[in-house]
Amino acid sequence: MQIKKFLLLGVLCTYVIFTKAQDRQASLSGRLTGSAGEPIPAATVKLQNTRYGVVSDQNGYYKISNVKPANYIVQVSAMGYKSQNKQIKLAAGESGSLNFVLAESAEQMEMVNVIGRTKAQEVNRQAFNVTAIDATKLYNTTLDIAGALDRVAGVRVRESGGVGSNFNVSLNGFSGRHVRYFIDGIPMDNFGSSFQVNNIPINVAERVEVYKGVVPMWLGSDALGGAINIVTGNRHRNYVDASYSYGSFNTHRSVLNAAATSQSGLTVQLSAFQNYSDNDYKINLRTLLQNNMQDDKRAAQVRRFHDVYHNETLIANVGVVGKSWADNLLLGMTMGQNYKEMQTAARPEAVYGQLHRRGNIVMPSLKYKKADLLPGLDVTINANYNLGYEITIDTAKADYDWDGIRDPKVSMGETENGQHVKYKNNNGLATTMVSYRLSEHQAVAVNNVFSTFDRKSDNLLFPDRNALNVPKKMDKNVLGFGYSYDVDNKWSLNLFGKYILLKSVVNSFSQKNMDHKLGYGTALAYYINPDVQIRGSYELTNRMPEANEIFGNLENEAANPLLKPEKSDNFNLGVIYGFKINEVNRFSITTNAIYRYSTDFIYSRLVGGTGQLRDYTTSDNRDGVRTTGFDSEIRYSYKSWLSVGATLTYQMLRNMQKHDYNASTRDYYPDESLVYLDQMPNIPYLFGNADVSGSFRNVFAKGNNLTVGYNLLYVNRFWLDWPSFGNPTEADKNAIPLQLSHDVNFVYSMKNGRYNISLEARNLADKPVFDNFALQKPGRGFYLNFRYFINQSK
Amino acid sequence: MKTLVTKTLLALAFAGVLSSCEKKADREVIPENPGNYIIAVTPTAIAGKADYLLTASSLESGAASIIGNGVEQDGTYRYYVTANNKLFSMLYGQGSPGAVTVYGVTDGKLNKLNDYTSATVHAFAPVGDDILTVRVPRRIAAAGTPTVYEWYRVSTATNAEVAKGTVDAIMPSGNGEIAHLSWIKQVGNKVFAPYFSIYNSFFTKFPDQAGIAVFSYPQMQYEKTIRDTRTSFIGRYFVDGLGLVENGDCYAFSSSVAADDDPATTAVDAKMTSTKPSAITRIKAGTTEFDMSYFFNFEEASNGYVITNWLNIGQNKFIANIEPKLTKGQYVTGKRLAIVDVVAKTVKAVTGFPEVKDISSVTTTNYSPKDGKTGYVGVNLASGATYVYKIDASTATATQGIKVEGGVITAIQHLQ
Repeated sequence: MQIKKFLLLGVLCTYVIFTKAQDRQASLSGRLTGSAGEPIPAATVKLQNTRYGVVSDQNGYYKISNVKPANYIVQVSAMGYKSQNKQIKLAAGESGSLNFVLAESAEQMEMVNVIGRTKAQEVNRQAFNVTAIDATKLYNTTLDIAGALDRVAGVRVRESGGVGSNFNVSLNGFSGRHVRYFIDGIPMDNFGSSFQVNNIPINVAERVEVYKGVVPMWLGSDALGGAINIVTGNRHRNYVDASYSYGSFNTHRSVLNAAATSQSGLTVQLSAFQNYSDNDYKINLRTLLQNNMQDDKRAAQVRRFHDVYHNETLIANVGVVGKSWADNLLLGMTMGQNYKEMQTAARPEAVYGQLHRRGNIVMPSLKYKKADLLPGLDVTINANYNLGYEITIDTAKADYDWDGIRDPKVSMGETENGQHVKYKNNNGLATTMVSYRLSEHQAVAVNNVFSTFDRKSDNLLFPDRNALNVPKKMDKNVLGFGYSYDVDNKWSLNLFGKYILLKSVVNSFSQKNMDHKLGYGTALAYYINPDVQIRGSYELTNRMPEANEIFGNLENEAANPLLKPEKSDNFNLGVIYGFKINEVNRFSITTNAIYRYSTDFIYSRLVGGTGQLRDYTTSDNRDGVRTTGFDSEIRYSYKSWLSVGATLTYQMLRNMQKHDYNASTRDYYPDESLVYLDQMPNIPYLFGNADVSGSFRNVFAKGNNLTVGYNLLYVNRFWLDWPSFGNPTEADKNAIPLQLSHDVNFVYSMKNGRYNISLEARNLADKPVFDNFALQKPGRGFYLNFRYFINQSK
Repeated sequence: MKTLVTKTLLALAFAGVLSSCEKKADREVIPENPGNYIIAVTPTAIAGKADYLLTASSLESGAASIIGNGVEQDGTYRYYVTANNKLFSMLYGQGSPGAVTVYGVTDGKLNKLNDYTSATVHAFAPVGDDILTVRVPRRIAAAGTPTVYEWYRVSTATNAEVAKGTVDAIMPSGNGEIAHLSWIKQVGNKVFAPYFSIYNSFFTKFPDQAGIAVFSYPQMQYEKTIRDTRTSFIGRYFVDGLGLVENGDCYAFSSSVAADDDPATTAVDAKMTSTKPSAITRIKAGTTEFDMSYFFNFEEASNGYVITNWLNIGQNKFIANIEPKLTKGQYVTGKRLAIVDVVAKTVKAVTGFPEVKDISSVTTTNYSPKDGKTGYVGVNLASGATYVYKIDASTATATQGIKVEGGVITAIQHLQ
């Protein structure tokens, strides 16, 4: 209801304002190059004595839109170059063009260094505990979004296998659904398996923002532990960026991003990507798993034989950009599918040879954005509807062991009874964001996100059971409101609140639930001096149970209709300090301390027992969990070609539930729990990354660059179960062993980045690595990547 | 003002960090307790977690704790069976095949002898030199697919699977419903498998029939069904309803807990439908028919109780869990104990056992040296304390024995 009104209002407003604002604005664009013709990224382009200003992209292009017609002095400053000013007169409706060739300057470097920030660096300076990954720097790698996230302090991505395997991103110890995902600020909650952070290549993004613990209100969501926002940006108006890689385990990946925009602003944007892998890497088998293999096939190491994964996705947007009434108005379609074979259940003891899953996404979307619709008023509207389905197929009349040999049997299903169920979640989503600048320093904003869920399932194996299907519906609305005060380079303040309303129909038309929660928070940043920023943030955050938690997912997750909303008090305190010993030796240090106290904490556990769903996981509430910890990043650079960095994360999650729950009496035990204050099991608590990379210019030919990089991943050993229980020896107690993985990469780019060839080697030492108990990840792998990039934007 | 806010926030954050000075309550440290008794403990801390195996030198006194002691078992739900002086720790869940770990006891400590994978099973028992396991279907299979039992034979000498096969799971009931095996037992050179017939959700339309499917061994050919209409089905879900006594006679109990969907409500819920009393019947040694000359009406003899489980302690005696008829249910396990003599047809209530209101649950897999006198039964109290009780059948009394810390007792076993 509410959203309809909002939409209507928005549409009405736009009509009124189009007629008023039409053809009055001008724009300015151009390119910045050095004297050798190299593009200058991250340069600041400002119109003097105004608030108009942008930062150039990685190819040196810039564009300033919606400028009042007038005479301007354009001021360009970039790190390592001399500043330049040029005059231009912009007439109403005119698209001005102005290119700059900047002279290099050693002495200028120091002064400009604070100003010359990329958008990613800019995000990092918010008052929130946020880390932005500059995705453009990773375009020549074969990483997906999840792989890039794994290098951020405080973040751990736990994967159960190779390409497309199940993954779990943890932010300061919160994982699974405590963390929400967004793409350009639009929640991804209901996109299905075909469009997830483990199958979206990094090239689709311009940057990835990781908000830890405290989530700004404009990401309208009920995250508990943080949020990840993938920003695709409108990088260029006319460009083609294509890459293809081939590597170990028959892995093929390709990405094509392209846009074409006419002078009049008509635009077509395309993003297509594909992943394919056999994932036939070798794993070590304990004797236990060899016993049932055919004698001649028995071996301590076998290749996975049923783990093919592939997905294909196409995102197309058609619309207009750069109009006086719309920065962009795009009609889009996301179409994708994925196919995933399942080699094992939660443990390698259960081997499958035919069980697989398919899913697809068919999602029309609408995006509208306009800054300064009225002076100071920005409006963003998004809507989409996912018509996709998910299907799990277990109809084999056979069993498999690790020898990969099909043992026929008369009964059906590798799991009990077999399965062939297709379901659609019918997810709809609409978001509206309106912000208004009250003055140079102050702004207010309102954000509303409405989502709907209505599952329909079709049992193809037992059609008669469809008659027993019960309604599974859920509507959720998150209304956010915020205020910000910002004095650039001095201090900034954010205050915000979120009101969440949830309505659901669970398993029977008569069983209607309604719940609502109010949360609020603040974020503060203060610059002690231009090099030192202190930031603190707090949020009382609420998270409603998600549809899959309440209804299950028909594959491996069981329903819990009684699940309660969880809430958490999240504190962050951080320091960012950049300093230099001299002009060539520079350091930056970021440190964050965190504190979280969550009540009715939702965690996932195995159902257990002897029932049909015993191997499924289910979500349950835990009275209290407290997290304290810190994460830290230090980075050193020598001149502009050598960069060395390291991150370290320590987080201690403690069980604050004082009494164990007795399921048979449905009451708490009176005695204090033996694991009260114990460390929560099966969560990594100490891990880090280290990396070194060197860039060499003009290798073999002018304009050709070579980058050599090395990355080390470290995760300390941790227990599978409560640390106090059992005899703590290797033989008697289960643990996830220490993980050390070395990756190296070489990137050779030619013609100023038009052609790129890169070679990556992952897990160079070929040591068995585990994120999850007994689920071995791929060993050593090599990947060769080709990328072509051309930008014709003017 | 701005610095004030910053400072406040700073102070708050640090206060949070420093408030981590809460202390755990003091507890007495319970050391390792080496011995030949094995107690499987399921922690109460989180549901769906693995067990710990503890050793104990005696079940009658002392203490054992999973804090700092015990061998962690992976997975969610385990069953324990001893055969050939080995303990088989069988994982029930974790995908279709489960892991089985085999232990022995040396110098009072558990040592792992071997491990192997097996299918998820619903009934298992030592048969000859094997462990026989059977996976039972719970639903009629999809169209075009037969509904079958899948059985596996594992050698207790080599700990490896030696044979497997399937048998029709509908035929034994003779009524079109699945004959869901409640348990299996070697009787002579046959395998007896009492069953409860089900059409869905463990409901039946035939509540007043008892049946035991008889299979040959080791071929596992279905031979016949022993039928009786004097009681409802024999045994219960995951409960062994057969007891073999020294002279080879086989006794069978029925709880009279057959159920069907209650037609009075729209929800799927159970309504007790059997008209027969809870009773004990007999199959004489060497025969494959119910002995119509023997009938022990348990409800009458006990003055209104049904039998829900039993522990064979030898010399025709059993320690039975009993439940008032009024509160019986498909999955209700009695919290009262009684000594049952199947030959004398007597029931004697056990005294000295904790009050029903104080009991959270009673352990299912208990131990008896089969001396006709003694049994050891685990009790998990609502207070969280957990003990093994020694039951003396001659006096029908229970005495508190070893205290177990950290969870509920899932099984009590003994190895030489």
